[in-house]
Formats: sequence, C-alpha cells, structure tokens
Amino acid sequence: MHGEPNQLKYTDIHNDVVRSIVETGPNYYIALVTAFALTLICFFFPWFYQLYYGIGAAGMNHPSVWGTYLASFIFWIGLSHSGTLLSCVLHITNSSWRKAMYRSAEAMTLFSLVVAAIMVMVHVGRPWFIHWAAPYPNQMEMWPNFRSPLLFDVMAITTYLTGSTIFIYMGSIPDFAAVRDRTRGWRNTMYSLMSLGWRGTDTEWHRLHWAYTFLAVLIIPLAVSVHSIVSWDFAMSIVPALHQTIFAPYFVVGAIYSGTAGIVTVMFVLRKFMDFGQYITELHFDNLGKLLLVLSLLWTYINVVEVFTGFYSGASGETEALNYRLFGFYAPLYWEMITFCAIAPLLCAFKSFRTSFVPMLVLSIAINIGMYTERFLIVATSLSRQYLPDAWGLYVPSAVEISILLGTFALFTTLFLLFVKVFPSVSMYEVKETMESPKKSPPAASEGSPA
Amino acid sequence: MKNFVVGLFGDPESALAAAGSIQTADLGTPELMSPVPMEGVEEVLGEKKSVIKRFSLFGAIFGGISGFLLAAITAVLYAHPTGGRPIITFPPYLIITYELTILFGIVFTVIGFFVSARLPNGLWTAWWKQDENRPYVPEAAVNKFAVSVTCTSNESVQQAEAILRTAGAEEVRDVTEEN
Amino acid sequence: MSFLDRITEGWRKNRKPGYYEDFDYHWAMTIDLDQCSGCGACVTACQAENNLPIVGEDAFTKGREIKWLRIEHYWEGEYPDVKLNVIPMMCQHCDSAPCETVCPVSATYHNQDGLNTQIYNRCIGTRSCAVYCPYEVRYFNYNDHTWESPLDQQLNPDVSVREKGVMEKCTFCIQRIRQAKDNAKDDGRRRVRDGEVQPACVQTCPSKAMVFGDRNDPQSQVSQSLNDPRSYKVLDELNTNSSVVYLKKVEAEG
Repeated sequence: MHGEPNQLKYTDIHNDVVRSIVETGPNYYIALVTAFALTLICFFFPWFYQLYYGIGAAGMNHPSVWGTYLASFIFWIGLSHSGTLLSCVLHITNSSWRKAMYRSAEAMTLFSLVVAAIMVMVHVGRPWFIHWAAPYPNQMEMWPNFRSPLLFDVMAITTYLTGSTIFIYMGSIPDFAAVRDRTRGWRNTMYSLMSLGWRGTDTEWHRLHWAYTFLAVLIIPLAVSVHSIVSWDFAMSIVPALHQTIFAPYFVVGAIYSGTAGIVTVMFVLRKFMDFGQYITELHFDNLGKLLLVLSLLWTYINVVEVFTGFYSGASGETEALNYRLFGFYAPLYWEMITFCAIAPLLCAFKSFRTSFVPMLVLSIAINIGMYTERFLIVATSLSRQYLPDAWGLYVPSAVEISILLGTFALFTTLFLLFVKVFPSVSMYEVKETMESPKKSPPAASEGSPA
Repeated sequence: MKNFVVGLFGDPESALAAAGSIQTADLGTPELMSPVPMEGVEEVLGEKKSVIKRFSLFGAIFGGISGFLLAAITAVLYAHPTGGRPIITFPPYLIITYELTILFGIVFTVIGFFVSARLPNGLWTAWWKQDENRPYVPEAAVNKFAVSVTCTSNESVQQAEAILRTAGAEEVRDVTEEN
Repeated sequence: MSFLDRITEGWRKNRKPGYYEDFDYHWAMTIDLDQCSGCGACVTACQAENNLPIVGEDAFTKGREIKWLRIEHYWEGEYPDVKLNVIPMMCQHCDSAPCETVCPVSATYHNQDGLNTQIYNRCIGTRSCAVYCPYEVRYFNYNDHTWESPLDQQLNPDVSVREKGVMEKCTFCIQRIRQAKDNAKDDGRRRVRDGEVQPACVQTCPSKAMVFGDRNDPQSQVSQSLNDPRSYKVLDELNTNSSVVYLKKVEAEG
C-alpha cells in the first residue's frame, strides 16, 4: 500500500474531519433551519395542541387505545438498535471495516433513543406526571410498580440511553483532543472541556481500550434486552396475536434489521453531503448489504413462524386476529410490509446491487417504511380485533398523528445535523488505526536504536 | 527542577525503540504519546494492568443487588397487590436486577476509566487547562509519535536529548521551558 | 429498626399469592341473563351515579363513548329467523387482573375488598391497562368533558370528575360501599349486612337480574347465586378469576 497515489495520510484525515466541523457552508444552514422549522411545525405545534386538547387530538378510540405514537416509539427504539449494538459487536470481534462509520451509527442510536423517549411523552395521556414512572423517593411514599412491563421499559431505556451516551462519548475523547488543538474560541473551550485533558499517552490508550471493551461487552446484552422488553409490553398481555413467545426475538431481529437499513441511509447521506467518500466506501455498503440480507431472511422466517403458530393453534381469537391481519382492513399494509421487508431485500444477494449506492439507499428507505408498517400493524390489527366482538373497532390515524410522525424525522434530522458539527463524525483515530502506520521516511535515521 | 524532554518521531517503530533505550539508560519510564493506540508498548515498557475490570465487576454486583432490593423493598413499603401476584415477585424483579446490573456496570466502568487513566486532567485546578506536570504536544494528536522523558537534572536532560536524537527524532523539545 | 420491621412484616404478610381473600369482604356480582331484557336501565343508572361524561356526537362516532357498563348485542341467525342475545359487560373485578400488573405507576391495584380500583389522581394515561383488559371495559378520557346546565347540578358529589388523559372504569360503586361500611361502623356492627349495599345498576335493574354482595359470606344472596348450575364466567379460559358471574340463559332445544 505504501507509496500508492491514493494513499491517505494521517494529516489528510485530520484535515478532512476538522474541515467537516469548522467549515460550514450555506447549504448546512439551509438544511438546519429547514429541519428545525419542520420540527416546530410538524412536531411541536401539534403536540402542544394535543397537550391542550387531550389525546383526543389523535385518532385513537375505545378498543384501539394505542396508535401510531406507540408504533413510532417502537420504530425509533428499533432504529437505535443497530448503531451501538453493531458497533459493539464489531469492536469485540475486531472488524476493522466498522471504524469509519461507527461514530455516526452510534449517534443514530443516541438520537433515535431521544426521539423514542419523547414519543413516550407524546403517547401518554398526562405527560406532566410522567416522572411518576421513575423510582425516586417522594412525599407521597409512592413508588412505581416494578412488576409492570412498562416499568421494565423505563429501566431498560434509561440504561440504554446512559450506556449509548457514555459509549459514544468515550470513543470520541481522543478525537475531541485532536480537534481541540485545531479550533479557536468557543469551540476550543468546548473541546477542551469535552476531551478532559486527553494527551494520548500509552497508559491512556491502554485504559481507553479496556474500558471501551468492557462497555461493549456490557452493552451487547443490554441492547438485546431493551428490545425484548419493548416486545414484552405487548407479549405480556393476553390479547390474541400479541401474547406470543416469539415476540422478543422477533422484535430484536426487527430492530437490528431496521437499524441496519437506517445506517445505510445515514451512510449515504454522510458520503454525499459531507464528502466522506474516501472513508465510507463500497466496502461498507457491501458488508451492510450482506447483513441486511441475513437479517431479512431471519425476519421473514420469524414472520412465517408467527403466522404458522397462529394458524395452527386453531384458537378462535388467534385465528380471527390472524385472518384480520392477512385479509382484513389493514391487509394492503401487511402485503406492502412483506414486499418491502421480505422480498425486496433479496436483491442484496447480488454484489453489483450491494455496491451501488443509490439502489441501496432506496432499499434501505423501503425497508424502514416496511418496518414502520410492521409496528403499526402489530398495534392496530391486534387491538381492533380482541376477544369480545361487540368491542371490535377500527383505528385510523388523525392528521395530528401523521404530522407528529413526520415531525419525528425532522426532529431526528435536526439533532443529527447539530451532531455532525459538534462531534467528529468519522472516528479519526480508528480510521488512522486501520491505515498503515507511517514508515521511517529518511533511511539514514533508521540506525541508532539499541533496543 | 523538573523538566520534560519530548522527542517527536514520524513513525511508531522509532518512537518505541527510543522509549526502550530511554528505559535501559535508567532515565525512568518514558511516556509515549500517539495519535493512535500503539502496538507493542507493553513489550518495551513492561506489562500494563488496569483496575477497570474490578470497577466493572463491583459496579455490576452492586447494581444487581441494589436493583433487586429497590424493587423488593419499595414494593413491601407500600404494598399494592396487583393481579393476584405476590408482592415480591421474582421474575419481573429479576429483569429490574438485570437492567441495573448493566447500568451500574457501565457507570462504574467509566469511573474506573477516569481513575485509572487519571482523567480529567488536573481536576482540582483549572481542569480544562493542561496540567503543568503533564507535558503535551499537540502534534501527537495528529500524526507524530512523541516520547516524553521526565528529567530532574541538567545531565539527564542532555542524555535524554542525545538518545532521542540518535533514535531518529525529528524534533526534540524541552516542554517546561516553553511553558 | 422500624424500617426493617416494616419490611419483614410486609414480606411475611404479602409473600403469599391471593392473601387478600382473608379480608372481610370479597365483593362479587351475578347477572342472570335469563332475566336480563337488555333494557339498558343499568347503563343509565351508572351514567347518573358515577358522573360519566356525555361525550357528544363527534366523539361518539369516533368510538370514544364512556360507558362503564355497556350492553353487548349479539345477533344470531339470518333476517327472518333472527335472535338477539344481550349481555351486560362491565369491569369484572378480576382477582388475577391483567390490567393491574401492567400499570407502571400502580394507578390500578387490588384493594382489600377484592375490588379492582382505579386511582384517577395517579393515572398517567399510558392506556396499557385498556389493552391488557380482555373485556374491553376500561375507558379513556380523550379530552376534558363539560356538563351543560342543568346537568352540572346533577353530578354526584361523592364521585370525582375525571380530567383528560385519565383511564376510568366501573368501581362497583365504591362510594356506596364506603358509605355502607361507615354506617355499619356507626351502628356498632363489624360487617355490612347482605343487601345493605347495592351499586346503581343493581338497584335500578327492573327485572332484578343483578345480585351484588359479599362472596366471603356463604349465606349472602350472591354466594347462593354463585352456586347456580347455570353460572359461568366470561373468558374464563384466560384465568382472570373474575368477580362477575353470569347465569346462562336457558333456551328450548331446537
């Protein structure tokens, strides 16, 4: 590799990443202002209206008391599942291709989780009392109900949010230090604070490596547990088509699946708009495509199992719920989901498809549309067909709900746009690590090393 | 008098070699600063051990115990019978235990990292500024590999400078004088 | 030391499942479907007694009416030869209630009288209890409700008016149970007499299809009624151990 014309040098990476932080073109500001305005208009204003009016602003009704808010919550939690989890798995298995993309993938985790946490507040009827779900000593001597699956959620998501924040921060400390010396003014102060006085000594690297590895080892089972627990919100009920043991693995696979597709989308955007073409290459899309293929097959398998067990049980409630999902009011959505999530990803079997950027982008977006539909169907079809036929109903999202759903994407984009200007969005030191280390340039200096 | 002689190298091998010769010359254990984690440091400067794993283990055990107790004790203090289940119900409380095990494992790992890596730097002074007792070369964050030697006398300064230069240092700096 | 004592005592007392069966009362209801004509008087009585909101036409068409007690209609057969079955459906006050375990803030729990209670003040509106309830008898306040004059003069002062974002459901008229217990105490009795307390629906039922009472008292009318061979529980296979027992409608063969 040494001496090739395309060979990147350490300084090139440094300059590229610092440039991505400090040099901000007008396009960025246009994007940021647009995203922020959309967040206000599509997310916060409808939400404030809903706070004033009550959940009635959404389309929920008597049997279908859960709606798109909960579907969005699961969707965003799911999207958060690939970043940190994938990064951890690839870290402890020493896969070097992770290194260029993992910082943004972890940021995706973080912001998806933030959006998901906000969705909980949008979802509940009285968000101004949401702190009652947190265990803290209070004058009422009331504690939350630790037997509730929803409280498992509170604990799991708090832990996951803490863990992901710490993980992305720990991995960025050396990069903050590197950027610190190249910036001035408030940026310098900020990076000085955030780098904690990192100097890059051998001891510091050693400690960072071990702490990082321990964190990765702790976060992998955590991430698996988080989405299992989210699935238990449903599976612990006795609603037909929700009360299923397959739900935990189903949700975990679905989460990693949609998260990986999300990473493909984010990688494409970073590559396109941040000029990181040298770091995010066809190799990454190739590998992510393989991963998508495997996950889509797994996901399809679990779906088949779900339908099969429901059909085989012969229980009236199960059969009705299954029939309703496959052939009822929401059936077009079901078949759309199957097309997007089970059939379309089979294209990833071809290398030429995996290594072409635009088709991969289209596929990744299609997968995430399908995965959102999946979450919506789980909520909508099961709740509208429960045991007592007299209480059957139909649920159609209202304009407020759809606006808030679109607003979550704007909110996510806003957060991500702020991120790329604060965090070095490509991990400098790890990209440097994957490169060949510099060789002794003047051969004259190679003597005189008595060790 | 306490001085830091820092040699800057363009490649990790010569920096490591220089660090080895500094140690064999009885000038104390040098500090290496690099933009990437360096391989082979432990072969030259001796094995490193960190206390992080103890912190992680302690945090996990502490979190697990406190997680279960949190759920069990609060349930008993204000008993709310639900669903015909006993007040202290093991399966759900094990999930709380599991989550808090991981939460405290993570938090204590971070504390362990800060303690063992001696970060944040100079906590009790103006900690965002560089500690005077710890030399820093900005180039080491970009593409240079630095070897820093702590010297207490003029002779050792000269000796260290000589070793660093023969090892192929692109530049040798006396950091204390700069400050 | 008292802190530890409280914990050990609580542990001893509460470790056993179903411990609340030892308490004084275990309220239950039977509904004789043979006598029920589906007139809906109980629905109206419930509405008046418990300050149920009149949600209005718009919310009704959206399927957001609040009826703690509803009459379910099931039609059998094709047009000329058609038969209507009705069944009043309200909170079954299950002893193993799925809705209770899921509430993250303990806003719904089982009280010492075997009642499934709902604490409006504590509710944060996750609506998960309504999902977990297989009987679909939990109702959510999608917005604030108002009572036009003179309906506001009719509100029951013993029952709180619920605000938006709160779940509500049948309480077995817990305010009347409270009143009866207070009366019993004033009279120097330890227990409420059988028949002394009646929820609004039971009181109103013109055909006396509903019987309410204490299941722990073997002499009570409801205990006698529970032993009826026609008795069954709705969705008994889900093991909810409901406290509302229906007596099956007897029909001629063919």
